[in-house]
Amino acid sequence: MYCVYCGVRLQEGAAECPLCHTKVTAEPLPRQAETSSYSEKYPQAEKHAGKYLVIGLVTIILAAAALSCLIFCLKSKGEVSWSGIAALGMALGWVWVVLPFLFPRWRPMIFLPVDFACLGGYLLYICGSTGGNWFLSFAFPVTAIAAVLTLAGVAMMRYIVQGRLRLMSLLVIAIGLSFMLVEFFQHITFGTPMFVWSLYCVSVFCLIGLFLFIASFIPSLRATLRRKFFF
Amino acid sequence: MKKQWYRLDNAALIFPAVMRRNWNNVFRVSVTLKDKVDPEVLTRAAEDLLPRFPTIFVRLKTGFFWYYLETVGEAPKAEEDYAWPLTPMTRRKLKKCCVRILYYQNRIAVEFFHSVTDGTGGMAFLQNLAARYLTLKEGVEIPPEGNILDPAEKPKAEEARDCFQLCAAKASVTRAEENAYRLRGNPEEDLFRHIVTGVVPTETLLEKAHAEGVTVTAWLAAVMAEAVLARQKEDPLAGRRRHIKITVPVNLRKTFGLNTLRNFTLAVNIGFDPWLGEYSHSEICRLMHHQLAAETIPQKMAGRVATNVNLQRSLLLRLIPLPVKTLAMRLVYALSGESKGCLNISNMGVVKLPEAMAPYVERFDFIIGVQYSYPNNCSVVSWQGKTYISMIRGIRDSELERLFFSGLVEKGIPVDIESNRR
Repeated sequence: MYCVYCGVRLQEGAAECPLCHTKVTAEPLPRQAETSSYSEKYPQAEKHAGKYLVIGLVTIILAAAALSCLIFCLKSKGEVSWSGIAALGMALGWVWVVLPFLFPRWRPMIFLPVDFACLGGYLLYICGSTGGNWFLSFAFPVTAIAAVLTLAGVAMMRYIVQGRLRLMSLLVIAIGLSFMLVEFFQHITFGTPMFVWSLYCVSVFCLIGLFLFIASFIPSLRATLRRKFFF
Repeated sequence: MKKQWYRLDNAALIFPAVMRRNWNNVFRVSVTLKDKVDPEVLTRAAEDLLPRFPTIFVRLKTGFFWYYLETVGEAPKAEEDYAWPLTPMTRRKLKKCCVRILYYQNRIAVEFFHSVTDGTGGMAFLQNLAARYLTLKEGVEIPPEGNILDPAEKPKAEEARDCFQLCAAKASVTRAEENAYRLRGNPEEDLFRHIVTGVVPTETLLEKAHAEGVTVTAWLAAVMAEAVLARQKEDPLAGRRRHIKITVPVNLRKTFGLNTLRNFTLAVNIGFDPWLGEYSHSEICRLMHHQLAAETIPQKMAGRVATNVNLQRSLLLRLIPLPVKTLAMRLVYALSGESKGCLNISNMGVVKLPEAMAPYVERFDFIIGVQYSYPNNCSVVSWQGKTYISMIRGIRDSELERLFFSGLVEKGIPVDIESNRR
């Protein structure tokens, strides 16, 4: 029995050609059961247990470290000073790194706002406990800018298919410009001179952004970038 | 039995470093007998060969600076074959044994993690396993000749040596070469591997190759290159100038007259630039043949071996801890490891068996796994006047196979097709 399209001889009883998928139509001949060279057995997927064990171990280690910091600090100083920062730092690390593994899927649009909110809270605690006056005028706006840009980047990569490169170029320019904002908040909080280091960042990011923006209009350049930087 | 350990040979170093959860470099050799395979006897045959093949029955272990292989205490049990060959050999499985023995109806198959051995070493082991199985099952007396070794004798030191260290030239040869066109397609999500085997008469294949004045490997590489070229012309994303190149693993045992059961092959890429104009079949055949001949001269091979061996010998690299080294190897592999060829054609050549054993054997098969980034591969083995060309793919689209096998038919070679279609 031959495939009329490819010209190759097929296995006895084959229902279609495995190369071009043309159906076998030799109806008058008695059809035999198709002989297969392989079994019907499918391999079992390997279970990766141990995930919750690792999470549990990391949580216990972090909790033990935080607790021992607090006890040591309370015993030596009679109050929670540096140990509060250390313990909350460990809690922040747990929220950022360990918490996502407790869920079956990593949903960045839910986890990232939570992460940045926790970071904001942590910085507020440090500001309050050290008697600083920099949270509202510096830490809060800088964290908010970082959160907005990160969420915009993640949303773009996950939900937008068309014109991604053009949007990415705009995002890169926005990241560059955000450094000026950071330096502005640094100026009003700490009194440092305006626009010194941020100009370097702005120029580099704007150049990259501009290059990507132009590349988005040239198909061959776009294809080269996709080939070189696919992941 | 006292546990022995082996350093990975030079070619084997890359495989554990670049393996993923769902992919690693494995290959299979199989023999189909005239009668149904008895799994218990097969397991016993493997157990009998355990002391004779200490470099084959090994597990992968992690050192501080390098991976290494350690002998296993007992041979792996024969398992029933799966719906497709070369199912993933995960890290966990490799820590138990790097070799898998499978049976299905009349067929005995052995799958190897590539760090253990290459196709030639794998075929030698399979022949010994089949010989031992036939001795136990049928009571056949098979004399130790050719690849068949005496299971009672002690393993020879030369079987375990890393021959790359012995044949490296004083000077090295650059690895720089043009990137090749990358075949692509929609991957099978459950890692199903489609295997299409074309059975062709060896005589006709030889006639066609000799009519062009080339070897069978060069001729098959030429037909495959034509199929890839047709794919490239159809591919809307293949806008850039990319060469059509076929990777051909070369057995260095013949080149350097050294024998080992470890890896001793080196791949060469042969092909052409389709952007320079149209090529006829004869022109492609001649291009492939002369490039293969020029690339495989012992001096050039020794130079290329030296490039790899010098890296391995570098004190600085040796002192870097394994995780860092692994990261670096992964990076290098991702950037250039698989970009120099479109797919492999690995030709094992003609299998020879002792006369006492041949009547019990129906056929041999040789299948290499797909690479991480290119979805098709092809392997060839000949036995008793028939050549078995196995094409494996991890994607749904069978267009390359259709182009290749119908190309053989157009050139006057009758092809019988077998597959493991879902």
